[in-house]
Amino acid sequence: MEIRKNNEIDETVYTETLDNGMKIIIIPKKNTRKKYIIWATQYGSIDNHFIEPKTGDEVQVPDGVAHYLEHKMFENENGVDSLYKMMSLGLDANAYTTNDHTAYLFAGTDNFYEGLDELMSYVQHPYFTDQNVEKERGIIGQEIGRYDDEPAWKLYVNAMDCLYKNNPVKIDIAGTVESIAKITKETLYSCYNTFYHPSNMIMCISGDFEPEKIVQEVKNRLIPREEMKEIKRIYPEESKGINMKEKEANMGNSMPAFMIGYKDELDEDKVKIDLACQIIYNSLLGKSSELYQELYNEGLLLNQLDTSFEFAKTYSHALIAGESKEPRKVYEKILETIKNKDVSQEDFERSKKKIYGDLVSEYNDVEEIGRMYLADAVKGINSIEYVEKINDITLDYVNEILKKLFKENESVISIVK
Amino acid sequence: MNIIKTKGFKTNLYAIFLTVPMNKENVTFNSLIPAVLRRGTQKYPNQLEINKKLEDMYGAGFNCGVDKMGDYQVLKFYMETLSNKYLPQKQNAVEFLKELIFNPLVENNAFKKEYVEQEKENIKKLIESRKDNKARYSYDRCIEEMFEGEAYGIYKYGSVEDLEKINEKNLYEHYRKILGDARIDCFSCGEEVEKIELPTRENKESQVSKELQEHTVKNKEIKEPMDVSQGKLIIGLTTPKTPKAVISMYNSVLGGGANSKLFQNVREKAGLAYSASSTYIRRKNAIFIKTGIETSNYEKAIEIIKKQLEDMKNGNITDDEFNSAKQLVISNINLIPESQEDLISYYFDQKLYEDNLSIEEYISNLEKVKKQEVIDIAKNIDIDTIYFLQGNEKDKTEN
Repeated sequence: MEIRKNNEIDETVYTETLDNGMKIIIIPKKNTRKKYIIWATQYGSIDNHFIEPKTGDEVQVPDGVAHYLEHKMFENENGVDSLYKMMSLGLDANAYTTNDHTAYLFAGTDNFYEGLDELMSYVQHPYFTDQNVEKERGIIGQEIGRYDDEPAWKLYVNAMDCLYKNNPVKIDIAGTVESIAKITKETLYSCYNTFYHPSNMIMCISGDFEPEKIVQEVKNRLIPREEMKEIKRIYPEESKGINMKEKEANMGNSMPAFMIGYKDELDEDKVKIDLACQIIYNSLLGKSSELYQELYNEGLLLNQLDTSFEFAKTYSHALIAGESKEPRKVYEKILETIKNKDVSQEDFERSKKKIYGDLVSEYNDVEEIGRMYLADAVKGINSIEYVEKINDITLDYVNEILKKLFKENESVISIVK
Repeated sequence: MNIIKTKGFKTNLYAIFLTVPMNKENVTFNSLIPAVLRRGTQKYPNQLEINKKLEDMYGAGFNCGVDKMGDYQVLKFYMETLSNKYLPQKQNAVEFLKELIFNPLVENNAFKKEYVEQEKENIKKLIESRKDNKARYSYDRCIEEMFEGEAYGIYKYGSVEDLEKINEKNLYEHYRKILGDARIDCFSCGEEVEKIELPTRENKESQVSKELQEHTVKNKEIKEPMDVSQGKLIIGLTTPKTPKAVISMYNSVLGGGANSKLFQNVREKAGLAYSASSTYIRRKNAIFIKTGIETSNYEKAIEIIKKQLEDMKNGNITDDEFNSAKQLVISNINLIPESQEDLISYYFDQKLYEDNLSIEEYISNLEKVKKQEVIDIAKNIDIDTIYFLQGNEKDKTEN
């Protein structure tokens, strides 16, 4: 078992890789009754084209299969709905699909092991029939409809469309009403057998646990599976540079929303880039920046900008989002600031303190901890690296990233009015 | 002054709440006050200085706003800092929080004009953009219709018309009055926390009345058209005032989670919606059912929902439904100590309404509820107002 301890924040992370290839990450937490577990397969909406390891066949599936599969996993041969069962145990159970993983989880103060039985049973026992697959189509159709009315979602998808020519990150996670019409129980089984193999799965657990003991509990519940070769995913080739400069949508928003994106094509440590971005955002665009004060005073911004550095194995970009009555004016001001300004020594020191505080606060809640470790693990990162690396970030490095990543000709804007 | 001791958190959370009655004359004034206070103090005269100070305190968080709680409007101020263990040097969180509330930037016996004008403009935009969040908007609108003419029906940010009557002088007067009259509650939550000592004032006892307004049943059915692909259906029910534990259980059986009647029948059996749930507003004796459906399925959804209410009245509740609903309610209460904000909200609500139940007592009251009590109470729970944010009907000739 790999053990990583950080004295500054007083946390230890245990990572165990089982013989079947499954990874288990445990972040023990004393003085809490709540326990959290999340189990994910590294399979999301972008994995729609792959080579089946068993047969060697190249398979292309309709958009939205990973999400459809997530909906159907709760169903069992004996008619019991696992979501229902876990809720009856007083557990807050859920599942979600992103572009690169699908996760099943629950949180609760009591009945953890009963919940673990159920979770590990339903994830390892798919049960799809023509009938139960058909029944789900209407529900997922409604869920897609809900996304269609969601300005925030449109904003994001359009920003992705601007940044990437072919990358499937720009496809709706749930697919479309047309694409899900083509999904059958055979499609679901084929994807399940390929991607729900332990070697492709990661589990994160946080709460008052003894690491060795909980690993054993998980092992006892794992069903032996045949060894599987590595899954070959086929992604469309992505050329350098952006797809288009801007995209606008009209959804009847009284206050237009905007999202600015910069494509990241650097081949460097992503954790360090992420930390540098946080310092840049805070210093140049954050609440304590001159630009924010100016935009706020002119009534161009009501709230602070929503900034992030997002990356996965197939994409990487910096995003700056907000709402403004004049999004283009704000866009210009942001571009100008990023182009002409450097992060000063004073801003750098202060921003680092703030980011340290934010990192420590993330360890308040087992749910937040579990989610963070899982999302990072899918990217091949141990979250504790953030606390380890923040002290190594220098002002020179931050300003270097500012110049290399935030290039004006690589910037795009999505606007939803 | 309340101290809530917690272990296992990396942070300390401090809160000061000013509670005033909700009414039409003052609502807009009240909603502006936190917005103006956070703009500047005597010591930190602008947001730049405030935010720099917060970041220097290792990313301390300051937050404020207004909330509607029953017939009250509550001005809430929060400050969160790392607990001392994780701080290279101790930070003075309470002093900073008090500076923001009690020591605002004042010029000639008035707030700074520029700040008031800007914040008026911001609240105006906030009010005007209400419709952007369809789910929130529909819920708020149902409450407004159901509690029309009553305190709880007032929109918590007030109105654009009232904003026009406000200036830096009358707003400052109003602020002075609130400091004298409001009920003030302070909370410190964490492992090793400071006490909050308030400045002394003349009226030690607040003038805020503890009486709840009586509600008149409206029997309304409202349809509001909007350009959305999915309609939002909100149904307000009126409940008896007590026993709250029994009504909590009723709500959980009806729409508490995946095992509830609404989720099972509206979503799982009929496939009409992605979500279908209900929320109990304990302090206003109301339950709100929420779901999102195709506009053409309106009649069908209403029929299914009414059937669920009838089933509850007729005692069609299985032991399984009842037991899992109870588990859900209790486990939600068990989660309160896992969040400092939830702990503060819980104790504040208990104090404000003078219930003063510990979390253990609260749970034990729920544990005692019997199925027959829920069936009995169901007979006194009925639809008051139906609100539908109506989307476009899908064009049936298209493909």
